[in-house]
Amino acid sequence: MSLLTVQNLKKNYDGKPVIQGIDFSINKGSCVALLGPNGAGKTTTLRMLSGLIRSNGGKISFEGMSVQSDIRYHIGYLPQHPVFHTWMSGKEFLVYVARLANMDRQTAAKRADELLARVGIADAKNKRINKYSGGMKQRLGIAQAMIHKPKLLMLDEPVSALDPIGRREVLSLMEELKAETTLLFSTHILNDAEEVSDELLLMHNGKIVEAGSLEGVRQKHRVDKIDVSFQEGFTPEEEKITALPAVIRAEHNKGNYHIFVNDTNQARDEILQLIYTEGWPLERFEVGRASLEDLFMKVVNQ
Amino acid sequence: MMQFMTVFKREMLEAGRNFKWIWVPLVFILLGISDPLSTYYLPQIIESVGGLPEGASFEIPTPPAHEVLMMSLAQYSQLGVLVIALMSMGLISGERKSGVAELVLVKPVKYSTYVSAKWSAVSVLVLVSFFAGLIASWYYVNILFGDISLLDLIWTWFFYGLWLLYVISISVFMNTLFKVPGLVGFLTILFVILTSIITNIFSHVLEWSPAKISGYIRTMLSDGSIPGDLWGTALVTIGISALLLIAAIYTFRTKEMA
Amino acid sequence: MAEVFETINWALVAPLLVIQLILQVVALIDWFRIEHTNGPKIMWLFIILLLNMIGPILYFVVGRRQE
Repeated sequence: MSLLTVQNLKKNYDGKPVIQGIDFSINKGSCVALLGPNGAGKTTTLRMLSGLIRSNGGKISFEGMSVQSDIRYHIGYLPQHPVFHTWMSGKEFLVYVARLANMDRQTAAKRADELLARVGIADAKNKRINKYSGGMKQRLGIAQAMIHKPKLLMLDEPVSALDPIGRREVLSLMEELKAETTLLFSTHILNDAEEVSDELLLMHNGKIVEAGSLEGVRQKHRVDKIDVSFQEGFTPEEEKITALPAVIRAEHNKGNYHIFVNDTNQARDEILQLIYTEGWPLERFEVGRASLEDLFMKVVNQ
Repeated sequence: MMQFMTVFKREMLEAGRNFKWIWVPLVFILLGISDPLSTYYLPQIIESVGGLPEGASFEIPTPPAHEVLMMSLAQYSQLGVLVIALMSMGLISGERKSGVAELVLVKPVKYSTYVSAKWSAVSVLVLVSFFAGLIASWYYVNILFGDISLLDLIWTWFFYGLWLLYVISISVFMNTLFKVPGLVGFLTILFVILTSIITNIFSHVLEWSPAKISGYIRTMLSDGSIPGDLWGTALVTIGISALLLIAAIYTFRTKEMA
Repeated sequence: MAEVFETINWALVAPLLVIQLILQVVALIDWFRIEHTNGPKIMWLFIILLLNMIGPILYFVVGRRQE
């Protein structure tokens, strides 16, 4: 069942289309990664969904929401660079936003304590936010987004700005949150998408270029690949490889050759045959399938 | 109403923590007492600085009490307005510039509530500070120059307070138009100055312009009764302030909070 | 000058001095606690300490960076 449906959503800046009529839907309980390179339009899309900016056309519909009601009741949003009133304590800030979401005083205080414990910063709840580390701020940011029990939690690049430790903390928190709520997060880091999400929206130049489950997308774009490397200093004639019938194309970097092929079995035989007849000093030969990164590069370079 | 009080209380808390509730009233008190004191000591100051030839007698007529109070008001219309403009220039624009507004406005808070609560918070601070300053001025005037009734003082506070609310409304409006606090402060002051200039040029047409309010307050203090024009001016000032506030809410709602 | 000092009623002027003292102390406390000011932080210390009356006010209005 889909929680959120977006139809033909558009956004222009200075007459230039930034989001070019995108369609997608998000199922209840799923964890979706909005993946794309910088400038693809991820943040703009999330900001339109959050009600911070207006679209130039299209429809956003939420399950069980009447047309008139305020979408902000249903979504929680963590911006890419959350900025707080840093003179407030973590708890004060959470109670403040809870009250803005129309919770009464007791409920707000209770919910704030609950969330501070939930995201693991209960110890620092009475400290001023300007004393918080980057990872703590990000966790406070997630807590403020969840304060009014939104049906959909949207996180914009939740881990990009963090150091490795903060990144790990927030990723494992997201892993836990998956079980409780529907999660949509944007990222340009493939590992993060692969690690946490089970569905994928791949965005490029203001369009959704691919959507579906992680496994489904992989299957669909399944490109078989053979990695080969040779002794140092040796350079094979690449044309001879690409001339083989089962080979689509080849790339190389630092002596590693990635050969994209149609049929793994046929290609393996052909390539080994070529190497043997040419007498190339083979060092490594690996048959594998394309990673998400290959898919990403393929889509982006189109 | 709950959301209004939430934003309002947070503003109050912030003004407390960054000492606004201490320094703004103190500055208004300073502005209030500087003129009664310096006017009183003016003859001695001139004498001590010298400059007068030996034996020349020098008589400065002691101004009537209400004229001295008017001098204090003149302080508020210059430095007071400057302080208001500078202290409120980041009220909304600063939050938008820093990005705090992003976290606040994704919560289901009404834009009208947000703007009006912020307007109210500044207004309370300014009106209380102005009252403190006026009381201080009144105290000195009563000791040094002569009596002004408490009722006259309260009317002065009420009518001149409307002018200060007008300045705050301009600032809030500019806050919703622009994201750069410095620009907001500059335009607020420019707008206030333009109000005076336009009023001076079209003086005979704009009988009830907000900029004329202190002139009518002077009449009130010297005649001892509230002139009809003062009520008219008060109404116009309230009306324009309300329009500015409505315009601020409207621009805030239509503008994208990027 | 001495003559002027004698004629001044100190009861009248004392409040001015008290206000100035409060402003200066409060500005100093805030200066210690705040992380960033507009412009070099040390400069504001001198402004608060050396410019009577105006210094602390300038600090609050211009020097203090809103967080």
